[in-house]
Amino acid sequence: MENKNKYWKGLEELNNDPKFLQNKRNEFAEGIPLEDVLTDKDGEMTSNRRDFLKYFGFGISAVALAACNKAPVKNVIPYIVKPENITPGIPNWYASTNPTTGVSVLVKTREGRPVKIEGNPESPLFKGGVNAVDHASVLELYDNERLQGPKAEGNQVDWNTLDGKITKGLAAAKGIRIVSGAVNSPSTKKAIAEFTAKYPQTKHIVYEPVSYNAIIEANGQSFGKAVIPGYQFDKAKTIVSFGADFLGTWISPVEFTKQWVKNRKVGTTNNGAKTMSRHYQFESNLSLTGSNADVRVPLKPSATSVALISLYNKVAALAGAAKLSSPGDVEFAVNMIENSAKELWANRGASIVVCGTNNVADQLIVNAINSVLGNIGTTVDLDNYSNQTGGNDAAFETFVSELNSGAADAVIFFNSNPAYNYYAADKLIAGIKKATVSISTNSVADETTALCKFHAPDNHFLESWGDVETRVGFIGLMQPTISPVFNTRQASESFLRWSGNFTDYYTFVKNNWTAALGGEAGWNKALHDGFTTSMKTPVAYKTSVLPQDAVNAAYQTYTANKDKVELSLYTKVGLGDGRYANNPWLQEMPDPISKVCWDNYAAIGKVTADKLNLKDGDVITIKTKTGVIEKIPVLVQPGQARDTISIALGYGRTAGGRVGANVGKNAYTAVSFNGKTYSYTAADVTVEKTGDGYELPQTQTHHTIEGRDIIREASLGEFVKDPKAGNHKHAHIITLWDEHDSKGHRWAMAVDLNSCTGCGSCVVSCNAENNVPVVGRQEILNSREMHWMRIDRYYSFKDAHGNKVTREAGLAGNMLKGKDESLITDETDFENVRVAFQPLMCQHCGHAPCETVCPVLATVHSSEGLNHMAYNRCVGTRYCANNCPYKVRRFNWFKYRENDEFDFYMNNDLGRMVINPDVTVRSRGVMEKCSFCIQRIQAGKLQAKLENRKVKDGDVKTACQQSCPADAIIFGDVNDKNSEIAKLFNNERSYVLLEEYNVQPSVSYMTKIRNVEEELAGGHTEHSTTAPGHTGHEEAKHDTAAHANAEHAH
Amino acid sequence: MRFLRITSLFALLALGASFAKADVAEGEQLFNANCTACHALNEKVVGPALKGVNEKYDEAWLIKWIKNSQAMVKSGDAKAVKAYNENNQAVMTSFENLSDAQVKSILEYIKTPPVAQAATTPTGGGVTTTGTEVAASAKDAFYNNTTFIALSIMALILFVIVFVLYRIKQTVQGIYNSKFPEQAALEAEPTVDVKTTWKYKLFTKHPVVGTIIVILGFTVVLGIYGFNYGQTEVGVQQGYAPAQPINYSHELHAGKYKINCLYCHNGADKGKQATIPSASTCMNCHMHVTASAKYDGQVSPEIAKIYDAVGWDSEKKAYDPTKQQKPIKWVRIHNLPDLAYFNHAQHVKAGKVECQSCHGAVETMKVVYQQSSLQMGWCINCHREAKVDVDNNDYYEKLHEDLKAQGKSYATVSNIGGLECGKCHY
Repeated sequence: MENKNKYWKGLEELNNDPKFLQNKRNEFAEGIPLEDVLTDKDGEMTSNRRDFLKYFGFGISAVALAACNKAPVKNVIPYIVKPENITPGIPNWYASTNPTTGVSVLVKTREGRPVKIEGNPESPLFKGGVNAVDHASVLELYDNERLQGPKAEGNQVDWNTLDGKITKGLAAAKGIRIVSGAVNSPSTKKAIAEFTAKYPQTKHIVYEPVSYNAIIEANGQSFGKAVIPGYQFDKAKTIVSFGADFLGTWISPVEFTKQWVKNRKVGTTNNGAKTMSRHYQFESNLSLTGSNADVRVPLKPSATSVALISLYNKVAALAGAAKLSSPGDVEFAVNMIENSAKELWANRGASIVVCGTNNVADQLIVNAINSVLGNIGTTVDLDNYSNQTGGNDAAFETFVSELNSGAADAVIFFNSNPAYNYYAADKLIAGIKKATVSISTNSVADETTALCKFHAPDNHFLESWGDVETRVGFIGLMQPTISPVFNTRQASESFLRWSGNFTDYYTFVKNNWTAALGGEAGWNKALHDGFTTSMKTPVAYKTSVLPQDAVNAAYQTYTANKDKVELSLYTKVGLGDGRYANNPWLQEMPDPISKVCWDNYAAIGKVTADKLNLKDGDVITIKTKTGVIEKIPVLVQPGQARDTISIALGYGRTAGGRVGANVGKNAYTAVSFNGKTYSYTAADVTVEKTGDGYELPQTQTHHTIEGRDIIREASLGEFVKDPKAGNHKHAHIITLWDEHDSKGHRWAMAVDLNSCTGCGSCVVSCNAENNVPVVGRQEILNSREMHWMRIDRYYSFKDAHGNKVTREAGLAGNMLKGKDESLITDETDFENVRVAFQPLMCQHCGHAPCETVCPVLATVHSSEGLNHMAYNRCVGTRYCANNCPYKVRRFNWFKYRENDEFDFYMNNDLGRMVINPDVTVRSRGVMEKCSFCIQRIQAGKLQAKLENRKVKDGDVKTACQQSCPADAIIFGDVNDKNSEIAKLFNNERSYVLLEEYNVQPSVSYMTKIRNVEEELAGGHTEHSTTAPGHTGHEEAKHDTAAHANAEHAH
Repeated sequence: MRFLRITSLFALLALGASFAKADVAEGEQLFNANCTACHALNEKVVGPALKGVNEKYDEAWLIKWIKNSQAMVKSGDAKAVKAYNENNQAVMTSFENLSDAQVKSILEYIKTPPVAQAATTPTGGGVTTTGTEVAASAKDAFYNNTTFIALSIMALILFVIVFVLYRIKQTVQGIYNSKFPEQAALEAEPTVDVKTTWKYKLFTKHPVVGTIIVILGFTVVLGIYGFNYGQTEVGVQQGYAPAQPINYSHELHAGKYKINCLYCHNGADKGKQATIPSASTCMNCHMHVTASAKYDGQVSPEIAKIYDAVGWDSEKKAYDPTKQQKPIKWVRIHNLPDLAYFNHAQHVKAGKVECQSCHGAVETMKVVYQQSSLQMGWCINCHREAKVDVDNNDYYEKLHEDLKAQGKSYATVSNIGGLECGKCHY
């Protein structure tokens, strides 16, 4: 058998977990919900045959009665005065900017209501990419729990009354504090400045629950520029990241993904490129970035500082710069640090080191490394710095004590929710209660707003004018795409009102920009484009600041905590710091790594879990020195650094909407303040088992595909030698069926596994485009998620000797022990995990197995290569789902709309405004699946016909393709020989899944190429003895984390 | 010879007359095509009534005016400025495409409209229905009523006869029974063997067969009833002609005044919806057209509904910002279920299908009704038959070549996948 990596859906599969095996044997992942219909609330099966007959009889008469409804009279109400550029049925697109992420977006509106968000392809920073959060933001507009108007002391008032009361209160206040996240809008800053001028007792406190204070502070000390730099991963050939999840959550993930992926594309996808960047990731929890890194080293939080110090010393040695005197190294990681130092030095000026900790000393070392490497001014840009986030932790600490002492007696929470996300919430809440004037501009009644006397709810960004300076020199403009749904007012305008300026905010913003943009025409152009840019060429900076005084302390922390369990807190791609908790699309988006939705959990490595006697689903309480996280379930997570526990922030909301409330546990209680900055790690925690059990809603193992050869990969060296590396195995194909005749279009998709980071943007985009319902936690547990596309995540493991854990090897070993036993041996190294992501949607097979078994011809083949699904023909036999080898069909177990059991958004009029009018909302009892966005195909074809031309490549983009920040999905007409898809569909890296079935899928995948030294493809390629030229490093044996970890393990 | 002369004279006269007649006919055609949107002969519409215009202005001036009135106004022609101001400074469309001869024939028509035309519009009745039609519809109603009454009376008489005959039979039977009691008793006994009756055979001897027949019978009856019921009550609304909030006549606007369908339903060649015109579209004409001649100088009550909707003050001839605008709630006639995607532009512009193919002769409908069933079979039928215009659209370039290669002259919609589920259902 060839020496090929084996991929596993999760530990359940590797472990042959009984539940997993049972699921595997079941015909359908989902159970039949007869019990739901027939049981009482307590879950006992109390019904009998007579009850069944009763239900049956009632059902028939109900249907008969329902059928008696006359077709209702429908009205059609035209405009009184038709707006010039709105034609019903034709979407209008507006360029705007999402102020929370800074991403340039295009907003699709239909009949004056926004229904979809896409990226703005002209934006130089984001180039058309958007992430899940941006996609989902449109749903927040239609949240019927938003505050519907101003309130003063619990009573609904009008804005004038509110303004009167507030200005009176503010004028009398001794100390006014505005608490906000990082403000990135020049106009808002100006409005706050006017406010401060009117009330000189005002201070503006920038508080970010996930703070980047240390970066700002360190850059101030190192370079005299207290900013968050802009990073250019596109210019980096070597990337070393210490816990910075820059592809997932760190500062500007969309921008960084676009940049990062530029140097990751090889072969046909990138003009025949044969080089790749190499990416090292040192981190404790398996993050999205870590799972995409070439080399990933699991590292405890307490070891990060020491690892950074050794990296600096090794780089400094190569550069001949001053070293830090350090008592020692992180023994097990020293080889990887050595390797990364060599590569960084080899690519000096074109490399980058980033660090995700909020520790000033760490960031000072990172600055020193980048400075020695000459990266400042190339990959680290201090001139066009980022405004996307920030934080001033010490200032907020002062604010909390001032609030309690009475020195600050008026406070404005400007879209900030510290009552939830501040670690010492009780102290803050007591303080807010003491304030004479407390104002919240938050748009929902969240934890903080509930405590405030005055509510001045802000508009949603799709209702607002504004400007967003994402990075200095890059101004994104915001324009309203709908008039305010409720009686809300833009917070910036509120600041103007309270400072006695009665200009409306549109005029205010326009006046700020018209002159700078060269008059009315310039303003209009910028508004039309959605941005205006004047970025400078960055300048190189040098630093000689070294935090020598922190070195010994860091080493002591490292040695003292070597065997102790540590806690690290992180944020998830979906929920972020918790501000998106009330968004059902984001709650239901599976976590890219764990595939858990609707919950957070304590991620613990296998070895640590065994040591603590924990298993999946155990409920534990974690005590740090300063806080407690109570009753959180355990998830055994491959890749988790030994002796660490990771918990996602952003869960455990208690207010702010029915969707997010009481989902997961609040982990902010474990945040601490170290005198300068907030710390998101805690050393020496104690873990107590409560004895309870809890089932986590996890989607990954729902649709098993039996460990077949579906991920193909090769190392860069193998690929350079042979572009077909890893993709030689092709099945001998026989067929029963006649070939389809496709003369016109033949739509197909190519997915570049090398580019896909697994971020999940496409999943949410698909939800929004195709009206995919949200089913909720319980239904996910029942394996009934409705997502049309999923991103499968596979793990591959090695044992302590660096050998791959394969089923073949496992079976041989297990023969003595009996079948179905675990493949896990004592030597399996769960930390050294390799991850592959694979987006999976309907493959639109040419010889589709689903079509042949449908008894009513509800799913049939089209002349354009699509697999059509006619919902109204479907009678719900589910044979098709059973016969689908890719398990991409979804059954509507319930009517998810207008059903209060699914209290998310489809059960209220406002929430339903987000529904795409071009796509049917499916009803109960029918099957559905990815349609290749057929509504977009039809629209693209029609546009071509109306314009009397052929369809151009790129006219039709699927929702998943359009939003992909990594450009991993390419869609088009393979019959058009000049199209991009025609080139990619059959290139040397392309393969189709389960080729041996000869179902002829219309989706082809391209092998994943990793920039590592070892052989991945195996078999057909010869062993590479020389390293690929561009990096010039050596010693293949040092290049894998496996070896390094082996040393640690022993 | 003299005879010949007289004959030729008559012939010439006849010829001349026929020429004059041709002029008037052409004029009528041109008048209807170009002028009726704003003018009537005897009534002020948007523009003034045109009868007598020939006497008021000389022909050369009129030709110049019709061809480009604004140029004349701008050049300061006294008569032109006066005419312009008299008509609320409403700008008259320029007709520079008309030749002098054509304008002359229009003027000829205005001077001497054919008698029939004059007769049918004695009150300048653009807005009213014509007299004969009113009579016809009244006759219709009358006819219907008399039939109903006559039939009812006849039914009543027949019922009385049946009742009387029954009474007579009863009486005779009574007399017979009392006169011949033995005979009567004998007759009253059943003479047939119960086992030979069909009821016995069916229900006692072969109960299964009987039950099946009864059930079948019910099924057929209920099925037929149910099918009709289903068709008419659940979705299929062929013939549906609901009363609309404004008694708008397509016959008048599209039929008589020949306003293009796309003038009001301007989305039909652009996108999915044909669109119901906004009230502001109505106001483009009805700002001036009030049909007041019909209503003793008052605004027509139907047109007043538009004014009410848009907040127009018909006295001041201006929008009144104090009036609240109220949208008009039209009743939707053509209801496709949400599961079917239909795009007007695809059919109207790309497919070049006439509106009437699906909607019927709307220009003859006083009240619009749904002419087609809008059932799937109806769609499919058309898709089977309709030919794709491959010659004139570059989109079909490849298809065109393929067809040529195969020696075919056309492709139907079904040939290019027009019968596939996913073309309409997604």
